[in-house]
Amino acid sequence: MMRRAAVGLAGVLLLASCGGGTATPSGNPATATVAAPKPDIKIGLATAKSGAANFYNPQQSNGALLAVDQINAAGGIAGAKLQLIVEDDGSVRDQGITAFRKFIEQDKVVAILGPTLSAVAAGAHPVAQAAGVPVIAISNTGLGIVGKCEYGPCDWIFRASLGEQSAVPETVKAATQKLGLKKVVIIYGDGKFELDDLTIFKEAFKANGVTVSKEIAYTAKDVDFAPFVTQAKGENPDAVVASSLAGPAGKILDEVAKQMPGKRVIGGNGLNSAALLSNANAGLMVVGTAWSKASTDKTNTDFVAAYKTKFGADPDQFAAQSYTAMIVLADALKRSGTATDRAAVKKALEGVSGLATPLGAFSFTTDHDVKQPTFVMTVKDGQFIPFQ
Amino acid sequence: MAEQLYNAVFIGSIYALFALGFALVFSVLDILNLAHPTVFMLGAFVALFAIGTLGLPWFVALVVAVLVTGLFGIVLDRVAFAPLRRRGAPALSSMISSLAVTLIVVRLVELRYGGDFITFPAGAVPAFVLRVGDATFEGIRLAIVVLSVALMLVLTYVLQRTQLGRDLRALAENPRAARLLGVDVERAIAATFFVSSALGGLAGVLLAFAYNTLDSKMGVPLELRAFTVMVVGGMGSLPGAVIGAYILGFGEVASLVYLPTELRDAFAFGLLFLVLVARPTGLLGQKSPDRV
Amino acid sequence: MDAVLDLLRTYSTTIAVIGVSALLALSVWLTLYAGQLTLGNAAFMGVGAYVSALLGRVLDVPFPLALVVGAFAAAVLALPLGAIVFRLRGVYLAIATLAFGEIVRVILLATPITGKGQGLNGIPPKTELWHIYLSLLVVAYVLWRVQGSSVGRAWAAIREDEIASASQGIAVGQHKLAAFVIGALIAGWAGGLSAHVTFSIDPSDFGFTKAVQVLVFAVVGGVPNVLGPILGAGVLTALPEVLRPLRDYRDIFQGAILLLVIIYLPRGLVTFVDVRRTRRLARIGAVDVA
Repeated sequence: MMRRAAVGLAGVLLLASCGGGTATPSGNPATATVAAPKPDIKIGLATAKSGAANFYNPQQSNGALLAVDQINAAGGIAGAKLQLIVEDDGSVRDQGITAFRKFIEQDKVVAILGPTLSAVAAGAHPVAQAAGVPVIAISNTGLGIVGKCEYGPCDWIFRASLGEQSAVPETVKAATQKLGLKKVVIIYGDGKFELDDLTIFKEAFKANGVTVSKEIAYTAKDVDFAPFVTQAKGENPDAVVASSLAGPAGKILDEVAKQMPGKRVIGGNGLNSAALLSNANAGLMVVGTAWSKASTDKTNTDFVAAYKTKFGADPDQFAAQSYTAMIVLADALKRSGTATDRAAVKKALEGVSGLATPLGAFSFTTDHDVKQPTFVMTVKDGQFIPFQ
Repeated sequence: MAEQLYNAVFIGSIYALFALGFALVFSVLDILNLAHPTVFMLGAFVALFAIGTLGLPWFVALVVAVLVTGLFGIVLDRVAFAPLRRRGAPALSSMISSLAVTLIVVRLVELRYGGDFITFPAGAVPAFVLRVGDATFEGIRLAIVVLSVALMLVLTYVLQRTQLGRDLRALAENPRAARLLGVDVERAIAATFFVSSALGGLAGVLLAFAYNTLDSKMGVPLELRAFTVMVVGGMGSLPGAVIGAYILGFGEVASLVYLPTELRDAFAFGLLFLVLVARPTGLLGQKSPDRV
Repeated sequence: MDAVLDLLRTYSTTIAVIGVSALLALSVWLTLYAGQLTLGNAAFMGVGAYVSALLGRVLDVPFPLALVVGAFAAAVLALPLGAIVFRLRGVYLAIATLAFGEIVRVILLATPITGKGQGLNGIPPKTELWHIYLSLLVVAYVLWRVQGSSVGRAWAAIREDEIASASQGIAVGQHKLAAFVIGALIAGWAGGLSAHVTFSIDPSDFGFTKAVQVLVFAVVGGVPNVLGPILGAGVLTALPEVLRPLRDYRDIFQGAILLLVIIYLPRGLVTFVDVRRTRRLARIGAVDVA
């Protein structure tokens, strides 16, 4: 019986190897003759195509793909084409880790973008750190992604997605000034993103002299949000803060419009969602975003037009961030002059400064975090517009 | 305070409407249909399709959604439960097969509509309000509250007073004896699934209308509540399920107002646990907890 | 050879997760074998995970000791659960254990030291593959021996007919409790191992989804013998990775495969391995054992 078990296990592993994604043989540039084309530069993208966070796609993949297409069409990096290998992280840690390992061990990529969720990154990033592979986080906005990480040194990790630590204080400052806030109530969810946001919001409000008179928690399993807003109403705040993801935020917006007409809803990156634009009460929200479609920078208008042409739809922030990360990486690759030296790419990434991207002028801080302006926005007529 | 009271009533009604179909299948067939959240979601999406793609008015879309999900319920039985029934498989297998169907259907919906939430086309969803004195009541929410009780009463009447109801009760008691007594068991089972799924689909459409949004995962939060509701109210009892739903709804709102926020979730499960230990039959339960 | 090593390194986490899943499936199998349907083992896994991870982080407890304490914490928690719910059966028991599991999870979420909803991050990856597979071997062997012993026969008897067993002098309550507690011990041990594989844990890892998943492993693998849950865990955990090329259609195939197995293989995947025994059992009519 044990022998059969061993055979069974071997069979499973064999099956697993057959399904091991697009494993391409690694090129050997050292023996390339003068006439041979340069081998592709391989980059991995781990993104949530299935599972709880699958609504980030196809935009997140599309942004990166668009950048790769444009760069390759323009001749690649010193004649070498970029090859983007996309794997599904399933929105779960195990699959994210396996995707990263596959990129590192089998595909032998020079850098990785992703994964989508911070919770998945908590498992995947340490793998890349240990293996010495540069990673650019494209949608992780919580605490502990770059700079000071809980798993130890994380100098191989960079972030292109504006962290809530940077965005929220800007949002709070703008909201406090323009709305004359004295007292607010925060409604927050029980996930990592929402809890991180809660911490950041509280600090920001304190710094601006605004009292948070109550913190009301909901769980991922709550269906109706009327009771929470009724509780908030009892405090008579100047505004409601929604530290939540888009789905609950939409319901909170509706309830605030119903129960507390005239009050605004201030939110973090969770509210920054194209799906919320069709909410009738989206006009109430004030949110800090990393990207403004309305920005008239040429890099941005070109990006929006190219995206629309290629994919037949408007891009959103996720697409803009993955696109930006890709062109930032390409810039670093060009300056490092290598296709496979990961340490050189890491050094080159650190040198990115004032690069023109759809997000504005892009630089990395010494902590490898993105330095870019925050766009504080609200919604009008189904579009994000600057908050005045 | 009055406002929270109404909130509690509304939440209780959502749970009740969802649990009715779930409880029906359990009371007649002893099956925990883990695909019920999926027919709930399916109802909402069929309505979306009817309104968005076919351009039908909302009341037609509602009827279409209910009928389609009812029929889907029959298909669900044929595919996932009937083969297991034929070979006398344990209840556990039915749970797993319904889980498998859920995986497939949810993914199919996501392939067409994506995983993010979707808003109905502007103006498609009815938005009438009822004004009583100072207070304003939203039409759809009111409809949910009224329907949850009304449908429970209708179902109870059907079960107690009609031939179909007698057939179903015989089936619930002892399928073999029912067959010997001349009950068309296959027809009764099909009817059970049709009604149960139609109820689930109706709940889905109404809830989608109430919030003007829907998404592929909308049934998940209600699934766990359904267990609590059935156990507290009494397994096998439809009025029990509704009462259990209101107890849970009121309990959740009360714990929001009076308890520290983190322990709120523990309330629902603590209640569940307590009932199971102290009075396993629940409030109105007719089935002994020995029934597997 | 290089390619094989790369392959193994890529899938090292998957292989680790398969091992852990197999342990969990065995923990549920044990209670199923004694006729108890439990959905609480995901919570016990969580207890083992958090306790061992925190002991290592806060008190610098050496890894093996932390694992042991974590497993025992889970077992201790199972004691009151088992004693209280042993008079429930079937679906009621399943729901009660689920409720218990959820309460544990909520308490985990509410305690500050666990990092609450943000989870516990930066857990050192101390688990080696051999830890997991050695544990699996030991547990599987022990359970296999127990199956043939008088305790195992008592469990099987209880599963078939509790009242008849009691009339034969079997201490039904004690045996059921034992199955529960040992199951929790194994689950807690598996939790401790798994926490040190993926660098990070959070309460949602140990909820309803996980509980159902583990149950599915055991049932799909097959309950008649120890090999079943191991096979079920192995195949079902490897399946998403194997189906990667199917991309967007992955879940559909997974659901379809699950459906086909549960409907057409009453004894689970074990049927493929133990064909002779299955045929013999089918002939005498004892096909289902769950």
